[in-house]
Amino acid sequence: MAAESSGDVFDIKQIRRLIELMKKHDLSEIDLKQADQQVRLKRGADDLPRVAAAPAPRLAEPAAAQPEQKADDSKHAVITSPMVGTFYRASSPEAAPFVKVGDRIGPESTVCIIEAMKVFNEIPAGVSGQVVAVLVENGAPIEFGQPLVKVDPEA
Amino acid sequence: MFKRILVANRGEIALRVIRACRELGVESVAICSEADRDASYLELADEAICVGPARAADSYLRIDRVISAAEIGNVQAIHPGYGFLSENAHFAEVCRSCDIGFIGPTPEAMAQLGDKNSARALALEAKVPCVPGSDGLLSSEQEALETARRIGYPVLLKATAGGGGKGMRVASNDLTLQSAFQQAAAEAQAAFGNPGIYLERYVERPRHVEVQIIGDMHGNVVHLWERDCTTQRRHQKLIEESPSPQLSPETRQAMCEAAVRLAKTAGYHSTGTVEFIVDPDGNFFFIEVNSRIQVEHPVTEMITGVDLIKAQIRVAAGEPLSFTQDDIVPRGHVIECRINAEDPAHGFRPCPGRIEKMIVPGGFGVRFDSHVSAGYTVPPHYDSLIGKLIVHQPTRREAIETMQRALKELRVEGVATTVPIHLEILSHSAFHDSKIDTTFVERTLLG
Repeated sequence: MAAESSGDVFDIKQIRRLIELMKKHDLSEIDLKQADQQVRLKRGADDLPRVAAAPAPRLAEPAAAQPEQKADDSKHAVITSPMVGTFYRASSPEAAPFVKVGDRIGPESTVCIIEAMKVFNEIPAGVSGQVVAVLVENGAPIEFGQPLVKVDPEA
Repeated sequence: MFKRILVANRGEIALRVIRACRELGVESVAICSEADRDASYLELADEAICVGPARAADSYLRIDRVISAAEIGNVQAIHPGYGFLSENAHFAEVCRSCDIGFIGPTPEAMAQLGDKNSARALALEAKVPCVPGSDGLLSSEQEALETARRIGYPVLLKATAGGGGKGMRVASNDLTLQSAFQQAAAEAQAAFGNPGIYLERYVERPRHVEVQIIGDMHGNVVHLWERDCTTQRRHQKLIEESPSPQLSPETRQAMCEAAVRLAKTAGYHSTGTVEFIVDPDGNFFFIEVNSRIQVEHPVTEMITGVDLIKAQIRVAAGEPLSFTQDDIVPRGHVIECRINAEDPAHGFRPCPGRIEKMIVPGGFGVRFDSHVSAGYTVPPHYDSLIGKLIVHQPTRREAIETMQRALKELRVEGVATTVPIHLEILSHSAFHDSKIDTTFVERTLLG
């Protein structure tokens, strides 16, 4: 999501715009900082975005964090493959992917399917956090230990 | 011919198979554990797939992952190498049911020959001399005693599911036989999951001589002469050579023909080795069949000029053997020394670690089969073989001299190796005069 140019994050027009963007791109959460202000928008189960203000406004650089480009990569957890097989993002070609970038997941969340010897194995995340990246193409061959999904455990 | 083969092994034999594939124009898919990820031979394969963490049981022995690797690697066949899954009839069966070629014998032949007792029954059927022994598995202590009295002490109790020199106990009289019988059955159950034991006369101070055979899927079986593997330590081979010194031409001929008869009776195809022991009087007796390619196959390759791995792959692809028995003429003398990362000065304890410097010998008639070079770290999880040094010369004396020269040229720094024990054996008069047996190394050289 590209950084929005200047403007108060608490500008209601800005917030509406952000809400539209969240719906359009199917994002579940945005965390914005500008100067000393911070806003986090989260889409709830009933699909209505809720606004939560930061506890104390503080000075910070205006920047919208892009989930794909978090500076501190080393804090990311990487879900690796426990088997050899073929990677599938969804349970069938028509189904939605198990996870996408931005999704919040828990240890029991299924992140993908790996098919081995005609058996379709659902792979659990094993970690909590926000999906930062999906590292494999749908239908790609996978070796043991291959990185599949990157997760930010602190998000 | 196959378009693509999975090499289901590691180390020097994986490199050997990959080399054969490259020469045959066959693509190769290598597998590796996490401990072998940086092995340089993987780069010679067309693809490398990690199949698990370091422990063999979690990687190279994982049939499901090996088969998955074969599937995503799009191979037509799997070469199992030696050790690991190479003599696992269940694995061969899984390959067959997944429509993947197995470069080895059929699961049925493997199962029949892998069970020592049924192999022995097959040998008797093929009129191959066997060590006098029990009529099948022993059903009771009483039967053991009667058999022992009939064939004469000392006797050897052997687990039918045993192998690699394990699961054997010697008894020299009724008393020791009675206690040995109960213990042997219990140990066999614990170690191999099969309590079946049988009994043979114990041949003291034997020589170990084995015959290389190869069969195709069209009923042709050819032998490629013998290898003498008498120089052992605790049933592990140290040095192999061909021809077997002190074997009369008649015995040699009879032994090799017996091996072919046995393979034909078993409906065997692919490479295999028929093992015999030879007593001090020159009588030979069948012991077991190894239904795989063996570590010491280069000895036979040098003595006959036949590339056994390529022949094995061709046979698996359905081709008839490209040579007849008359084409297999042995020339000169070959000796092989197994170079292990072990310290002979400290009970042969394994010495994993990083090889800082390595100089490899060469010259006329010198071959070194190794996946190892400077900078390689010998992992602690697998066998300690780092290379095989093979020498081919016109005479045995010259082969010994060249091997000594080559061993002194070989430099491996960073890990201890078995080079010193090889030099000691090769300079011993008993080895020169071929007056050795399978107990020679332990009796003579190791305090």
